[in-house]
Amino acid sequence: MGKQKILIVDDSEMNRALLIDILENQYDVVEAENGVQAVNILAERRTEFCLILLDIMMPEMDGFGVLTYINKQHWNEKIAVIMISADDSPANMKRAYDLGAFDYISRPFDATIVRRRIENTMFLYARQRDLEKTIEEQFYEQEKNNKLMILILSHIVEFRNGESGTHVLRVNMITEYLLKQLLQHTDRYPMSKSDIALICTASSLHDIGKISISGDILNKPGRLTPEEFEIIKTHSAIGAKILLDLPVEQFDSPFVKVAFEICRWHHERYDGKGYPDGLKGEEIPIAAQVVALADVYDALTSERCYKKAYSHEEALEMILEGKCGVFNPLLLQCLKEISDILEDLLVDATREREIKKVLDVKDTIDYDRCFHDKNQNMQINQQGYMQLLYVD
Amino acid sequence: MNLKECYVKLGGDFDEVMGRLPREQLIIKFLYKFLDDKSLELFESSMSNQNYDEALRAVHTLKGICQNLAFTRLYESSSQITAALKANDYHKAMEMAPQLSKDYYQVIHAVEEYKETMEG
Repeated sequence: MGKQKILIVDDSEMNRALLIDILENQYDVVEAENGVQAVNILAERRTEFCLILLDIMMPEMDGFGVLTYINKQHWNEKIAVIMISADDSPANMKRAYDLGAFDYISRPFDATIVRRRIENTMFLYARQRDLEKTIEEQFYEQEKNNKLMILILSHIVEFRNGESGTHVLRVNMITEYLLKQLLQHTDRYPMSKSDIALICTASSLHDIGKISISGDILNKPGRLTPEEFEIIKTHSAIGAKILLDLPVEQFDSPFVKVAFEICRWHHERYDGKGYPDGLKGEEIPIAAQVVALADVYDALTSERCYKKAYSHEEALEMILEGKCGVFNPLLLQCLKEISDILEDLLVDATREREIKKVLDVKDTIDYDRCFHDKNQNMQINQQGYMQLLYVD
Repeated sequence: MNLKECYVKLGGDFDEVMGRLPREQLIIKFLYKFLDDKSLELFESSMSNQNYDEALRAVHTLKGICQNLAFTRLYESSSQITAALKANDYHKAMEMAPQLSKDYYQVIHAVEEYKETMEG
């Protein structure tokens, strides 16, 4: 590892030279003669520097000017600034601290003290950087594990459904794109980045209620009888009840609340013709509205044991024509706007599926068994769309 | 003439500077550098041009150098003029300028004499 780099900003050549003599064994030193030079150097290559020694009284731009600039650009979050002015009046020192200086070394310079203060400052900054990195890593690790747990859980549900688990992942992604697009259009649904993340993660649980539906019905390749269809439809209320039955302190968490909304209401429709509660318009929480749309799009474009995969264009057309129920017009607009992204996702998904087919013979056999009666797709009439989507 | 005698002659504090800076060689290097320093020149020309901002910067720089090299006497006069200029008291600054010049040349002559001893 090379030496750490220090920028010395002082208009007096003698002062710079003295500091260089004190520091050059330990550090790489770069010089600037005035504030403007310093700012230019920092603008180009500030990441190289750990620390700045800054004089106050200089031509062109003085030390306060440099400090103000550094502060405005938030550069002093990564680089420590130590003032080295011959003017150590309390007013100047206070002003420098107010502008974000980390320390103030008064003249005359004592070589040992200058070195120690610089060392200590650098040590502190380095330790802070390390801590930030550790916390960040731990945060991501934890996030990763949380997501993994939820994915495994939803995979268990889909597994019974004879599906691969990619449905959950794609609903997750489509939900995120839709929400971000939605926020560009309106502030009707105030949402932070972490709210979006929460909804996306919670979307993974939308079908947990299917755990209580018999496998025979879930995996029935042909059309469902009206009775079977009614049974399938209970999955949204059951999913919500599973969450509702959690201990109070867990149900009170924002995550479980959103997951509850999504589970119970992801089959509601904007015109009130969905289930289980027949909620209408904005009575349906926005999280459930978005997941509902993502769910329908992904269901249409995926293969199921009872249907073929529709193309991106077909799916979009069916949704926009209201063949899968009525959605919030603003969300439909968002869906159209992210059409290209969705199409790319689909291409990736199809490619993955192809690769998997080649690699995994067992999967191929499963597919063959599922699609032994390909003609059944032809029999699905318009009414059939509604049914198959309710199933998904 | 040794370095300590030079410091006595220029009106400085040798023990103080030796306590702060690690080597005699470093002090000598900066004493020689001081011979080429243009701060006083800049101060005087700025004063006669009534460019008091520039004059302040120059004498302030001189004051900083004096602090670092422990030129006690020159530090006093440069410090007083710095304060006067900061307070916009140009008249007082003008009055004290000859003293500054006198103290400055005392340092210059002492260092030159030392340099001759060492090189001669």
